[in-house]
Amino acid sequence: MTNTKISSIEAIMLILTIFVSHTIVSLPQNWISNQKSAIILNLIYVGIIAMLLVYVIYRLFKNFSSLDIVDISEYLGGKTLKNIIGGIFIGYFTISASILLREFCESLRVIFFPMTDVIYIIIPFVIAMFINNSVSFGSNVKTISIVLPLVLFSIVFLFFANFENFSFERMFPILGKGFFNTFILGLGNITAFGGISCIYFLPPFLKEPKEFKKICLTSIIIGLLYFIFCVSTILFMFSFFTEADEKLPLYFAARHIEFGVFFQRYESLFMLIWILEISCYLMVANRFSMNVFQKMTNLKNTKYLAFIFPIIIFGISLIPKNYAIIRFFEAQIYSYLILFIVFILSIGILIFANLKKKKERELNAS
Amino acid sequence: MRLKILACVIIFVILTVAFSTSYTTVNIDNIAVVVAMGIDLNTDGTLKVCFQFTNPSSISENGSSEQSSSIIKTVTSTSINSAINVMNSNIGKELSLSHCKLVVFFEDMAKKGITNEIYTLINNAQIRPSTNIVISKCPAEYYISNSEPLLENLISKYYELFLNSSQYSGYTCNATIGDFFDKMLCNSCTPYAILGGINFQLPNNTNDAFTTIEANSISNSSNLGGKTSSENIGLAVFNKGSMVGELNAIETLSFMCITDQINGFLITMPDPYNEENYIDVYLTPTRKTKFDVSFVNGSPFIKLDCNFKGQIYSMTSESNYLKPEVLEDVSNACNNYMKYIITEFLYKSAKEFNADIVGIGTHSLKSFLTFDEYADYNWLENYKNSFFDVNIDVNVKSASLLSNS
Repeated sequence: MTNTKISSIEAIMLILTIFVSHTIVSLPQNWISNQKSAIILNLIYVGIIAMLLVYVIYRLFKNFSSLDIVDISEYLGGKTLKNIIGGIFIGYFTISASILLREFCESLRVIFFPMTDVIYIIIPFVIAMFINNSVSFGSNVKTISIVLPLVLFSIVFLFFANFENFSFERMFPILGKGFFNTFILGLGNITAFGGISCIYFLPPFLKEPKEFKKICLTSIIIGLLYFIFCVSTILFMFSFFTEADEKLPLYFAARHIEFGVFFQRYESLFMLIWILEISCYLMVANRFSMNVFQKMTNLKNTKYLAFIFPIIIFGISLIPKNYAIIRFFEAQIYSYLILFIVFILSIGILIFANLKKKKERELNAS
Repeated sequence: MRLKILACVIIFVILTVAFSTSYTTVNIDNIAVVVAMGIDLNTDGTLKVCFQFTNPSSISENGSSEQSSSIIKTVTSTSINSAINVMNSNIGKELSLSHCKLVVFFEDMAKKGITNEIYTLINNAQIRPSTNIVISKCPAEYYISNSEPLLENLISKYYELFLNSSQYSGYTCNATIGDFFDKMLCNSCTPYAILGGINFQLPNNTNDAFTTIEANSISNSSNLGGKTSSENIGLAVFNKGSMVGELNAIETLSFMCITDQINGFLITMPDPYNEENYIDVYLTPTRKTKFDVSFVNGSPFIKLDCNFKGQIYSMTSESNYLKPEVLEDVSNACNNYMKYIITEFLYKSAKEFNADIVGIGTHSLKSFLTFDEYADYNWLENYKNSFFDVNIDVNVKSASLLSNS
C-alpha cells in the first residue's frame, strides 16, 4: 500500500471523505441541538482552532518526514508502543466505520426498505468493502476523487435549492445557549474535524511531501465551509431540529426541494450520492486499518486482510441492539473517542517524539 | 476462479432473498395509492379515518375525456396507524401514502388538538412534507367525498393544482404538513392550515364600509353558486397544536402579503371620488416586507413596511387615469385600505388568537443575546401584548388597457 503515492488533491479528498461522511448521517443535528442558534459562530471558532492544531501537527511532523504516527510511536517507545498505538487506531477506524455503517443502514431501512432486516442492507456495503480492498489503493483514491466532488456539489446544491425556504433570522440569538456553552463547552465540537486522523497516516503516501502543510490547511478550510453549508441549511430551514431528533437531517432538507410540479423528489438522487460517499468512507477506514495491521505484524501479503476487516466491521455493526444505542454512542461516546485518540494521544506522541529527537540531537552535538 | 463464481452466486442468492420481501410488497399490483386522507374524532375518542384512492382501472380505460372516479373508504380506529393497518387488511393491498396530497382534519378535532396526529404523520416516511393540510368546517369524510374536480379528470391532479390560485388571489394559502410541524415546535411562531368546507347555504355575509362582501367570505359560507363542491377560502389559526380561530378571505390576503407568499392580488375598495362605487386595483409587492421588532415596557412594538405597485382594473365612463393627481389619490386610497386590513389582521392575530402565524417572533430573535433570555421572555405568551405600526407604500402607476374615458 505504501508503494502507492497520491497527489495533493487526492490527499485532500481523502481527508474530506472522513469529514463529510459523518455529517450525512447525524452530525449537524447533534451540533444544532447542543449549540442552538450559535452553531455557525461555534463552527467558525472551532474551525480556527482546528487550523491552529493542524499547523501544530504539521510542525511536529516536520522532523519525521515520510513517517506516519505508528512509525513515530515505534521510534518513541519501541514495538510495544507501536502495537498499542496501532491497536488503538485499528479499533478507532473499525468502530467508527461500524457505527456509521449501522446508523446509515438503519436510516436507509426506515426510508426505503421497511420490510427488510438491516443485516441485508449492511451486506452490500460489506461486499463493496471486499471489492475495494481487493483493488489497489490508487484505484480507491481515484474513486474518492470522483465521488467526493459530487458529494460537495450535492450539499451546495441542497443549500441553494432550499434558499427560498430559509429564515436567516434563525441564526439569532447569536450566542445560542450562552458564551460558556458556545466557546468553552462548544470546544468539544472540534471532534467534527476527526478526519484529521487521516493526516497522521498520510506522509508516507504523498507524492510531494513538501505540500503537506498546504494539504492539511486546505482540507480544514474546505471542511469548515462544507460544515457551514450543512448546518446553515438545517438551521435556516427548520426550527424543530433544536427540539426533535430526525434521522438523516440533510435528507429531510432534500425532501423539500421542488422545482415546479414536474421536478420533484430529488432525495433519492441525494441518497445515491451519499451511499457512494459512505462506501468511500468505509474504503478509507479499511485501507488505514489494513495498513496499520500490516505494519504491526510485518505481513507481506495483505490479500486476506481484504476480507478480514470488512467482516470485523460487519460484526461490530451488528452488536448494537437498537437505534437508540447507536445514537447514544454516536452522540455521547464517539466524540470523546475522537478527542482522546485524534487530539490528545496522537499530538502527545508527536510532542514526546519531537522532544526525544531534540534530546538525541543535543547528545550528538555534545 | 471457481471460488469467485461460487461467492458471486451466494451473494446473488442472499440479496435476492433479502430484498424480495420489499419488492413483493412495494409492487404496483400490491399497493393502493392514497391521494387524500381525512381524520375525524368520534364522540368516544376514537378516530374515523377516511382514505381516498385513485381508481387505476378508470384512469387507463376511460381515456382523457372522461372524469375518472375515486374510491373512498372509511375506518374507525384508535390511531392513524391502526386505521392504515385495518384498511390494508380490508382492501388486500398495502396503502401507499407517498402520493397523498391532502390531509384533512375536522374543525372540532382541530380545536381539541391534533399534535399527536401530526407527529404520527410526520413520523411516517411515506408522507411528504409538501402534503397540504386542511381544516374542514364539515366532517373530513364529507369534505373528501365532495372534493370533486370540476375542470380536471384526475382527483390527484386537482389536489396538486387547487392551491395554485393562492399566489394570485391570496384568499387561501399553500399550507403544508411539513411547515405545520416545523411551526408547531417553533418557539417564535405558530402553525396555520387551509380552511376548507362545503357550502350548502345561501351566502349571508355582510360587509362593512371598508371591505366588500367577497372579502368577508370564508369556507362553508362563501358566495359561490353552482354545483356543490369543496371550497377552500381562509385559514385556520393554531396555537401549538390546537386551532384557536379562523381567518376570512381578506385576512388571509393580509397574511399572504406580509409573509411574501403572493405574487399579486386584486383589491376592491371604495372609489376615492365616489364612495358609493368600488374600484378594483391589482397590486404587486415590489419588495419583501420589512419587520422591525422592539420592546416598549416589555411589550413588543412591531413596525412593518410593505411596498406595492398598482394597476387599476376597473373602468367607468367617468374615469380619467391619465391625471397624476388621480393616480395619487387612488394610491392614497390603496394605502389606507391596505393599512386598515393589515392592521386589523395583525391585531386580530395578537389580541383575539394570541397566535403569531406570521412568524414575527423570528424577527425578534436578534433582540436577544442568548436562547435562555428568549425562552424567559416567552414570545408566544407575550405576543398578545403587541402593538403595531404598519407603513404601506402603494404606487399606482396606471390603469390597464384604457386609461381615459
